Amino acid sequence: MTTVLPTVPAGEHPPAPSGGRKARSVFRRLTGERAAPYLLLAPAVIVLAAFLGWPAIQVVGISLRRLDLGALVRGEVIWVGLANYQEIFADPEFWTITLRTLAFTATCVGGVMCCALLIALLMRHLPPAVRIILQVTLVLAWAMPIIASTTVFQWMFDQQYGILNKTLVKLGFESFAGYSWFSDGVSTLGVISLLIIWQAVPFVTFTLYAGLLSVPKDLYEAASIDGARPSQAFRAVSWPALRPLITLTTFLSVLWNFKVFAQVWAIREGGPDGESTTLPVLLYLKGIADSRFGVASAVATLMVLLLVVLTARYLQLLLRTREGQA
Amino acid sequence: MSSLLSRRTRPRRILLGGIGLLVAAVFAFPTYWMITSALKPRLEVLSAQYDLIPLSVSLDNFGTAISKPGFTTYLTNSLIVTLGAVACSLVAGLLAAVPLARLRFRGRKGFVLLVLVAQLAPLEALFIPMYLLMKDLGLLNTLPSLLLVYFATTLPFTVWTLRGFVNGIPVELEEAAMVDGCGRWGAFRRVTLPLLGPGLVATSVFGFITAWNEFLYAFVFMRDSSKYTLPVWLESFQTAFGTDWSGAMAGAVLYSVPALVFFLLVQRKLVAGGTAGAVKG
Repeated sequence: MTTVLPTVPAGEHPPAPSGGRKARSVFRRLTGERAAPYLLLAPAVIVLAAFLGWPAIQVVGISLRRLDLGALVRGEVIWVGLANYQEIFADPEFWTITLRTLAFTATCVGGVMCCALLIALLMRHLPPAVRIILQVTLVLAWAMPIIASTTVFQWMFDQQYGILNKTLVKLGFESFAGYSWFSDGVSTLGVISLLIIWQAVPFVTFTLYAGLLSVPKDLYEAASIDGARPSQAFRAVSWPALRPLITLTTFLSVLWNFKVFAQVWAIREGGPDGESTTLPVLLYLKGIADSRFGVASAVATLMVLLLVVLTARYLQLLLRTREGQA
Repeated sequence: MSSLLSRRTRPRRILLGGIGLLVAAVFAFPTYWMITSALKPRLEVLSAQYDLIPLSVSLDNFGTAISKPGFTTYLTNSLIVTLGAVACSLVAGLLAAVPLARLRFRGRKGFVLLVLVAQLAPLEALFIPMYLLMKDLGLLNTLPSLLLVYFATTLPFTVWTLRGFVNGIPVELEEAAMVDGCGRWGAFRRVTLPLLGPGLVATSVFGFITAWNEFLYAFVFMRDSSKYTLPVWLESFQTAFGTDWSGAMAGAVLYSVPALVFFLLVQRKLVAGGTAGAVKG
């Protein structure tokens, strides 16, 4: 068995080199050496092209069309140019939602990075038993499925019987009896941020902690012999090891938190009165609830553009190093 | 000297240990609260009394959740969609990872970049065209539609991490087998594939958790409640039985258990895999 796949569809062959070789050996060489990688990659390429590439092109195309349920059923293709974008830009609600989404992303990313860095630094100084306890609890928080943890947070923050209000009352803050945490958008998004930070901190903490462990112990000893204070040791020894990981995890956090849908939707469906609506929720409301696919696709395209702008610097670095190594 | 040092740092160690335990308590609390709420008798959950520690324990809520009409259907739906997607992406991912790690060919760099970019694709922004695509294919409101989406979603990182694992196996081992008379395929099957075992497990768990967790596509594609997956079921549970928190908590526990078990199996590898997929080559 020298070929990796026994049968080869004819269409998959690269053009045969000209030259007078025996057909059989050419065939073997082609299938065994030249065509094999392409054949092996074919299933992955087809799936990625059909279910990621094609929708990505489509979303831009649909954003330039007027497409609602009627047009969809009749199979009409009505190009409207940038009308969908004009409509969105003219809507003051869109700008509010965009700013809200940016503020929400910044809060989540900032919260995650600060907590994770502090916990990772703390972990190095903990007695082994405490460190293991802490690591187990982090893994538990990380592993809980998103909708399960969202449900639990809603229950904890419940107006009537939530443990948080009960505890606050017990501590003497009587005014929290029956206090609603979901009565306005800022407070609702605050609870959602807490939920996201709680669940995202473990991954970042473990990544940063792994980075800290890779620093040789001698470096800290050398720093303390040189009379460095802890803050100086952090800057001279820990920070250089952490910096690339912090950049990476910040980038990933922006990517993940900007497009959060499940938690925001499950908590209050963007309410009350749309005050906790973020861009992904707007996309859902325009697209699926109102069936205005063109407008929704314009929102989606703008969302992706915004995400690219937010992460441009890191994206550039990432692609450059990847290309160099690939 | 050292005893002096340890005596001086002792209060500091106790203080830091205390902070560590406090942080652990904060992170453990929601999980603790989910489990204890699920174990409390229904009437006790909705009472004004302060009940940080459960006074009595019963398994009734689990019974109610499991016997709720359709629970087994939702569980089956979730399992079909998740395991199907993981199996598909493991096969296609392995087929792609091997040439990317082992062979030199034209267009390899381009494909590596494609996989990388695909990993970053914001799927939440693509559900409109995906919805229309599934409508055209006549797959809307069927389990295969979700299976295909999760297949495509989990494929990029499956290719990426498996490529890393194949890279980690010295090619000399395969060459030695070929010298001993194995063909290329035989060498791969007898030498590399068995060594890839742990990598395949870690990668598939990664995929399992992604698909098991997915909410948006399941929510958008599935119109009949009999086609719901567990996350959509759990979310609808809550609005339909708004006050039944003990039932919702029992449901949440049941839904969390598979993810938790799989997660604990490979959590160390997850950090390595997650970062390897994004920093190292």
